[in-house]
Amino acid sequence: MTRPVLAACAAVFLLLALVPLLESNYLIDLFNEIMIYALFALSLNVIIGYSGNVSFGHAAYFAIGGYTMAILLTTYEWSLLPAFAAAVAFSFAASAVVAYFCTRLTDIYFAMLTLAFSMLVWGVAFKWRSMTGGDDGFVGVDVPAFIAERVPFYYFSLVVIGAAVAVLWVICHSAFGRALLAVRENPIRAGFVGINTRLMRWWAFVVAGTFAGIAGSLFAMVHRGMYTESAFWPESATVLIMTLLGGMYSFFGPAIGAASLFLLERLTNEYTEYWPLVLGTILLAILMFLPEGLAGLAQAIRRQILRGR
Amino acid sequence: MDSIIQFVQQDLGNPGLAALLSNPSFAFIQLMNSFSQAMNLFIIAAGLSLIFGVLRVINFAHGAFYMFGAYIVYSVAQEWTGNFWLGVAAAGLGLAVMAVIIERGLFQYIYDKEHLMQLLLTFAVVLILSDVAKIIWGTDQYSVSYPAGMKGAVDLGVTFYPTYRLFLIVVGPAIAIGLWLFTERTRFGRLTRAATQDREMLSALGVNVPIIYTGVFILGSVLAGIGGGLAAPFNSPTPGMDATIIVDCFVIVIVGGLGSIWGSFIGAIIYGLVFNYGSVIVPNWQDVFPFLILLAVLLVRPWGLFGKPEGGNA
Amino acid sequence: MRRSLLAATAAAAVLAAGAAQADEIRIGVLYPIAGTGAVYGEPAMHGHNMAVDELNAAGGILGKKIVSFARDTKLKPAAASAAAKELITKDGVDVLVGGLSSAVGLAISEVARQEGVVYVATIPKTIKLTTEKRHDHVFRTASHTDFEGDAMAQIVAQLGLKKICDIQLDYAYGHDLAAGIEKGLKRHAPDAEKVLDLRVKLGATDYNAFISQIMGAGCDGVTSGLWGSHFVNFAQQGSPFGLFQQIKYISGGEIASHEIAGKMKGDYPDNVWSNTYELWYHHHDPSHVAFQEALAARSGTGETAMWPVLAYIGVKFIAAAAEKAGSMDADALSGALKGMSISTPVGQRTIDPETHQADTGQFWGPMVRKEGADYRVMDPVTYIPAVIEE
Repeated sequence: MTRPVLAACAAVFLLLALVPLLESNYLIDLFNEIMIYALFALSLNVIIGYSGNVSFGHAAYFAIGGYTMAILLTTYEWSLLPAFAAAVAFSFAASAVVAYFCTRLTDIYFAMLTLAFSMLVWGVAFKWRSMTGGDDGFVGVDVPAFIAERVPFYYFSLVVIGAAVAVLWVICHSAFGRALLAVRENPIRAGFVGINTRLMRWWAFVVAGTFAGIAGSLFAMVHRGMYTESAFWPESATVLIMTLLGGMYSFFGPAIGAASLFLLERLTNEYTEYWPLVLGTILLAILMFLPEGLAGLAQAIRRQILRGR
Repeated sequence: MDSIIQFVQQDLGNPGLAALLSNPSFAFIQLMNSFSQAMNLFIIAAGLSLIFGVLRVINFAHGAFYMFGAYIVYSVAQEWTGNFWLGVAAAGLGLAVMAVIIERGLFQYIYDKEHLMQLLLTFAVVLILSDVAKIIWGTDQYSVSYPAGMKGAVDLGVTFYPTYRLFLIVVGPAIAIGLWLFTERTRFGRLTRAATQDREMLSALGVNVPIIYTGVFILGSVLAGIGGGLAAPFNSPTPGMDATIIVDCFVIVIVGGLGSIWGSFIGAIIYGLVFNYGSVIVPNWQDVFPFLILLAVLLVRPWGLFGKPEGGNA
Repeated sequence: MRRSLLAATAAAAVLAAGAAQADEIRIGVLYPIAGTGAVYGEPAMHGHNMAVDELNAAGGILGKKIVSFARDTKLKPAAASAAAKELITKDGVDVLVGGLSSAVGLAISEVARQEGVVYVATIPKTIKLTTEKRHDHVFRTASHTDFEGDAMAQIVAQLGLKKICDIQLDYAYGHDLAAGIEKGLKRHAPDAEKVLDLRVKLGATDYNAFISQIMGAGCDGVTSGLWGSHFVNFAQQGSPFGLFQQIKYISGGEIASHEIAGKMKGDYPDNVWSNTYELWYHHHDPSHVAFQEALAARSGTGETAMWPVLAYIGVKFIAAAAEKAGSMDADALSGALKGMSISTPVGQRTIDPETHQADTGQFWGPMVRKEGADYRVMDPVTYIPAVIEE
C-alpha cells in the first residue's frame, strides 16, 4: 500500500472512530449506515470497475447476508460469530452459484441475468413468510447483548467494515486484481496471455457478492430488521448509482459516492419531498458531464492544479 | 377423464388444476384472460423492443411513458371531454411530444456510450418523470370509466366475456400486424431495419440516420402511451404504476428476444398464460412466475426465443 | 478523501442542528405524505394538524406548545423504520403517532420498543400489534383485524351466505384479516364454508385471473380486504364479468369511505357491504357536526374524507394522557394511556389497560345509490362495536 493512501485511510478510520464522541445518536446511526453502504458500493465495484461487467442484481447478496443474519440471530438464537460466519457463507454460496451462470454471458445479457436472479431472491423473501416475514419484513432482530447498545455496535461495525475494506483493497491490488483489470480492458488479449477470463470474472462476482453479504448482515443489525425492498431491483440501481457517482475506475470512489448520495438524500428530504427529481437530475448531470464520477473529477482538478503550478 | 380429475383432486391435492380439467368454460375464460392481459402488455413491450432493436438502448423510462399515457387518458377522457377515444388519441400525441423532447434533448448523446451509461440515463429519466407526474396529477388514485358501449360483456356461446377485454384481444394482433407491415413494407421501415444492421453504412449512403432514430423512438413511446391509455379503465392511474409495468415488460422483451416484434408478441402470450394458469395451479405464487420464465430463458437461450445471438455470448 | 470526509462531518453537524427545546412538546408524525399512499396520508395530516391547532389554541399540552415533525413513510416498513428512528434521534420527539399499513405499523412499533418511546398507532390494523408484538410503549386507537373479521362474519350470517371465497393482499393486514374472518365465521356463521383462498401482492393490478376463479368456484359471498386502488381495479375488472351480480361482496379496508365512493361514482359496483370509521354525512355523535364543519373548512371540500378523524383521535389521546401523567416521560405516558378514555367525534373511546387496544368500532352497511347524488352512500348505517362475543 502506498504511503499517502495508507495515511489517508488511517486518518479516515480515526475520524470515524471519534464520531461517538459527538454524543449524538443520530450521527452514530448516520455514519454507521454510510459505512455499510460504502462497503456495499465498494463490493459492487469489484464486478464493475475491475471485471467490467454491470450487475443489476447486486442487492440480492446484500439481502441474503442480511436475512441470514436476522433469522439466525433471532429465530434460531445463534450467537454472533456463527451467525456472521453463516451470513458470509450463504452470500458466498449464492453468488458462487449465480456467478457460474452469469459469467457465461457478458454485457446486457449479464446484467439481465443478474437482475433475474435477484428478483428470484426477492421472490423467496416475499413468499417465504414463515421464515422471512414476507412483505412485512423481518422485524425485530435480536442483536447480542455486548453490542446491543449504539456505541459498542458502532465500533463493532467500524472494525468489521474496516477489516473488510482492507481485505478488498488487498484483493484488488494483488496479482488477481491486476489480472481482472487486464480482462476488463481486453478480454481477448487476456485470454491469449493465458488468463482464464471466465474464472477470473467468476471470482470477481463471488468476492463482490460475499462482501455485499457482510454489508447486509450489518444492515440487518443496525436496523434491527430486514425488508424485501433490500432485494428489490431499485436497491440494486441505487448502489449502482453510488458506484457510478463516486467513480468506478478508482478503488475508493464508490465509497465516496455512497457517502455523498446518502447524505444528499438525508439533506434533500429535509427541504423537499421531491428526492427522486433531485436524484434524477444529479444522475443526469454526472452522466452528461462527469462520466468518471467524483473521483474522476477530483483527479481532473488535481491535474489542473499541478499543471497550473 | 373423470378418473384423471379425481386423481388430480384427491391424490395430487390440486383443486385448481382439477377445476381447469373438469370445467371447460373456466379453462376457456383463463385462456381469454391470458390473451387480454398479454395483448395489453404486448402493446407496451413492443415499443420497448422496437426502441432497443434500433437504438440499442434499454429504456427504463418506458414504464413512466406508460404511466403518463394512463394519466393523460384520465385528464382528457374523464375530466374534460368524456370521450375515451379522444383520451387515447391524446395519450399517443402527448407521448409523441415527450419522445421528441427526450430523444433530442438527452438520448441522442448516449448512443455511442456504454450500456451502463445508457441504462442509468434512462433510470434518471424515470426518477424525474415520476416526480413530474406527481407535480401534475398529485398522488390521488383515479378511476377511468370504460368507453361507451364496452361496459358490459359479450355472449361467446360458452361463456360471457367483457367487451373491453375482447377489444384488447383484437387490437393487440392488429398492432402487431401493423408494426410488421410497417417494418417490412414501408421505406422508413426498411431503413429502420437497415439501421439495426449497420448504422455507418446507412449514414455513408446519405440516409439521415438521426431522423430514423427519432422516428423509432417516437413510435415506441407512442405505443407505451397508448398501452397505458388502454389500461386506464381497469388499472387505476396512480403513482408507482410505472415501476410495476417495466419489470413485466423486461421479462416479455427478453423472453421474446430483444428487438423482435413477434418475439414480444409470443413473450407476452407466454407471460399471460403462465400468470393466469399458474395462479390457478400453484395458487398465490403468481408474482414469482415471471422471473422463473425469465431465468429459464436466459439460462438456455440468452438472446431470447426470437432473437439472434450476438456479441452478448462470451 | 479526507477533505470529503470533513465535508461530510460538517453536513452531518448541520443535519443534527435541531436541538431539543424544553418549552415545547414534539410529536413525531408518520404517514405516507409524498408518493404511493399519499392519497391517504395527506388527509390524515389534515386531521393531525387540526387536532394540534385546536390543542395549541387552548394552551398546548402541559402549558407547552405542540410542534409536529412529519416524515414520509413511503408506505414501506423499511422507510418507516428509518424515519421513526430519525425522528427520535435527530428531532428528539417525545412521542410517535401515525402509521399507515400494518407492515409499517409493526416496523414503527419495533423502533418505539428499542428506543423506549411511546407510539400511538392510528391506522394499522394487524392484530399482532396488540397481541404477540405488544410492548409497554405501543397503543392502538384504530380497530384491528379480529374486530373487522368478526363484523364481516356477522354480515355473512345476516345475508345467509353459505360458500365464501376470500381474496386478500399478501402482507400482514391481508393474512391477519383472513384469520379474523375465519374465527368470526366459526362464531356467527358456522355453516358457511370457505372454498377459496386467494392472495395478491400489494400493488397488484391484474385481477382477471382471480375474478374468474371466484366465479368458477361457485361462491355466493366474497370476503376481502382489498383497499384503495386495489379495490378500484378489482371492481373495474370484475363488473363486466357480472361478478357483483353473482356474489355479495363483503369487504374490510374501509372501501365504504367517501374517498372511494366519491371517486368511483357510477362505476362503484352493486352488492358491496363495507366499513368506514367515519362518514361526513352521518352524525353518530353530536360533536361530529362541529368536527365535520371544521374539517370541511380546513380541507376546502364539503364532502370530507375518512382518514382525518383517525389521526385526530390519536393526537387527542396523547394530549389527554400527557395531561393526566403530568409529563411526556414515556413510562408515565404509557401508564396514563392504559385505561384512558376520551370522547371523540365518533363516540367515546377507551384503551384497554391490558391489550393497549382502543374499543374502536366501525360503521358497516351496504353501499346504495342515493336520490340526487352521483356517488353511492352507506344506507342503512350500522355501528358495530368493538366487542367479540364468544
